[in-house]
Amino acid sequence: MYSLSGRTAIAGIGATEFSKESGRSELQLAAEAVFAAVDDAGLSPAEVDGLVTFTQDANQEIAVAREVGIGDLTFFSRVEYGGGAACGTVLHAAMAVATGAASTVVCYRAFNERSGRRFGQPDPRLGGQPSSQGVEMSWHVPYGLMTPAGWVAMFARRYMHAFGATSEDFGRVAVAMRRHAATNPAAWFHGRPITLEEHQRSRWIVEPLHLLDCCQESDGAVALVVTSADRARHLRRSPAVVTAAAQGAGRGQMMMTSFYRDDMSGLPEMGVVASALWSMSGLSPKDIQTAILYDHFTPFVLSQLEELGFCGRGEAKDFVADGGIEIDGRLPVNPHGGQLGEAYIHGMNGITEAVRQIRGTAVNQVAGVRNVLVTAGTGVPTSGLVLSRE
Amino acid sequence: MTTTAESGVHQRLADLAERQIAAGEVRGAPAADPVNLPMIRHWAAAMGDANPVYTDEEFAAGSAHGAIVAPPAMIQVWTMAGLDGGDTVGPVAVMLAALDESGFTGVVATNCEQTYHRYLRLGERPVAATRMSGLSGPKTTALGVGYFVTWVVTWYSDDEPVAEMMFRVLKFRPVERNPEPAKHDPYPLAPAVNRDTAFFWEGARQGELRIQKCGDCGEPRHPPGPVCPTCRSLNRTYTLAAGVGEVYSYVVHHNPPVPGREIPFVVAVIALPEGVRIVGNIVECAAEKVGIGMPVRVVYREMDDELILPMWIPRES
Amino acid sequence: MRTPTEQETRAGAALPELRIELTPTTVVSTALATMDFTPVHHDVEKATAQGSKDIFLNILTTMGLVERYVTDWAGPDALVRGINVRLGVPAYAGDALILGGRVAGREGDEVTVEVRGTVSLGDHVTGTVRLLLPR
Ligand SMILES: [Zn+2]
Repeated sequence: MYSLSGRTAIAGIGATEFSKESGRSELQLAAEAVFAAVDDAGLSPAEVDGLVTFTQDANQEIAVAREVGIGDLTFFSRVEYGGGAACGTVLHAAMAVATGAASTVVCYRAFNERSGRRFGQPDPRLGGQPSSQGVEMSWHVPYGLMTPAGWVAMFARRYMHAFGATSEDFGRVAVAMRRHAATNPAAWFHGRPITLEEHQRSRWIVEPLHLLDCCQESDGAVALVVTSADRARHLRRSPAVVTAAAQGAGRGQMMMTSFYRDDMSGLPEMGVVASALWSMSGLSPKDIQTAILYDHFTPFVLSQLEELGFCGRGEAKDFVADGGIEIDGRLPVNPHGGQLGEAYIHGMNGITEAVRQIRGTAVNQVAGVRNVLVTAGTGVPTSGLVLSRE
Repeated sequence: MTTTAESGVHQRLADLAERQIAAGEVRGAPAADPVNLPMIRHWAAAMGDANPVYTDEEFAAGSAHGAIVAPPAMIQVWTMAGLDGGDTVGPVAVMLAALDESGFTGVVATNCEQTYHRYLRLGERPVAATRMSGLSGPKTTALGVGYFVTWVVTWYSDDEPVAEMMFRVLKFRPVERNPEPAKHDPYPLAPAVNRDTAFFWEGARQGELRIQKCGDCGEPRHPPGPVCPTCRSLNRTYTLAAGVGEVYSYVVHHNPPVPGREIPFVVAVIALPEGVRIVGNIVECAAEKVGIGMPVRVVYREMDDELILPMWIPRES
Repeated sequence: MRTPTEQETRAGAALPELRIELTPTTVVSTALATMDFTPVHHDVEKATAQGSKDIFLNILTTMGLVERYVTDWAGPDALVRGINVRLGVPAYAGDALILGGRVAGREGDEVTVEVRGTVSLGDHVTGTVRLLLPR
């Protein structure tokens, strides 16, 4: 059977600085990140013939192409479902390259998510349109359940009830991320670690979530260059081979509000991604040296560890205890500090960190990295990657 | 600010409303006169309605009806009490009397919604059955502070429902001003409603918790949708949920502020005995008292002139 | 009575306006024809004692006039399925009720007509009438 595994690689990564107010347009941010990624790969923009971004991105592919001097495009696509798109962009790019639809595809995401439209703010328009999504939201928005923190908190409460997890278990995730960010100069929270007590004292956003359970809001952009593994071997950087890439949605899936299926204590869509990744790569959790887990809210880091098979169901609270996911723990998670510590660029900054870990150039480098697992937005239809060193 | 005495009044009214709603549908006496041509003719003449299907036997015989029919809007006329005076013991009458006694003596009708399942023919003798469906308030309106009382009347011919009416009045404490219509600011978080979901919101307006049910395989489903995922049937019906449930999960929203809501507020996923879950607010209960497994029952809250939301309050188990 | 053309029942099409003079006779005869003997609909003294400026239309009549207004336009073969209204200012004797409407939507034979009835004080009634047009 034909497999995508090993056929393509990420050959270049680029990003702007991460801030609370970029002071420039989202299109300019996108262009800067694309330049940086193409330069990193040692290519010229004219060699790019494909672009992939998020459905939510405000910068059209052709606009980005005009700014950076990309000429003819033979492939462009967009991936749905908020941050769930992140690894999906690489899947789409890899499929395009593997099938010959394009030879060099750039994936990008650029936004002023702090100084422009903030996803964490209630938007009454969410339930205002009778599209399928508007109608879906209309079972929640009229009751004021209309922020990502609120939707995640509903699962978190049930998770606590099912497995005896506590707010402190969630707090240990935040403490780990901030510890990693503290030593990452690119992170917004560089030099600012937190304690579990500070986590517990931080104000309520939506109970059971404290402020420090929620990722930050950021301005910035990230871009990645995907090309064939053969070609990547002849470029400037050592390739981060796409060993597996998958998207996933589950039965009865909704956008952040899948309250009506199963027992609300897991993330079935991440289970779909996990089984696809393990079967495509032939690997298992023990083959992963570090994982980049989407951390917009701490509780879903616990559920992801379970869905991906790093521990059994309900056991993540023990897995994260005693620094288990810290840089020197049993599975270092998000050595760059994640979205809680570095920046919230819809998961794309996590993919660049995975590439750096593969290359051996990360600021918080994990020793002996061969395979890195990356996940995308949780609570939504999502995606994942396994990237490998050759 | 409500004083203690005020909240005592409110509690009494709310308790009474609960009992009146629980009393369910109460049938009145059959129409004093069967549907008849003289009353139709008087009505049509007074209204200036020249529609010949009401009065012209020959025309009516050749129409889709095949015979003379009564104007649909006359439905309520047949069961009016007339000069003998009205109902004083039905669930709504008792509620309105209690509001009068508490000083809410003003009355103004705000909504009237009639649905006609079919036209009535001469000789039929409809019976009106009334059930109270909601009390909301106290609310400050242009007319004064008051309560909205909502009830539903179903007319039966023999045992066949032929028409329905949702009626809402505002019972208010008159203020020294010219009467004006009640006006509410529109609730900023109104749901998007389409053909697949209208029945639910319409039900809420009538004080009913409607849960979609497949007309073929019987599978209940919430949130509803156009196609039965079990058997592909497009034959949608709904059942009226008992209006009780248990908290399956919940959150307490503190930040950021949400338009149209006071913080903190509680939102819960409620598991219904009908086999589905539904999201709603838990009200009249301190956030610390809410817990998974807590028994709740539904109440209906008027958010503006158009929207009524089902919400949940603690229930003795 | 006539049946409207296809053009006249398209979404957005306006219904011809109807002006009804609310003489005391109108108010009283309709109240009695709807079997409503509440004094405010026929006894000026009792109506003014309650703070009203005159006798005024009862709700059963408002429903009847809305129905009549729409079926005058839709013709004798149309079937009325439902009337949903919001009630506004009173319609006093001596005033005139001006009914206007437009086709809000049409799905097959089912037409929804938006109706607005105004008096000198403002909107007396606003709402919709659902009807089934003959094929
Ligand atoms: Zn079915």
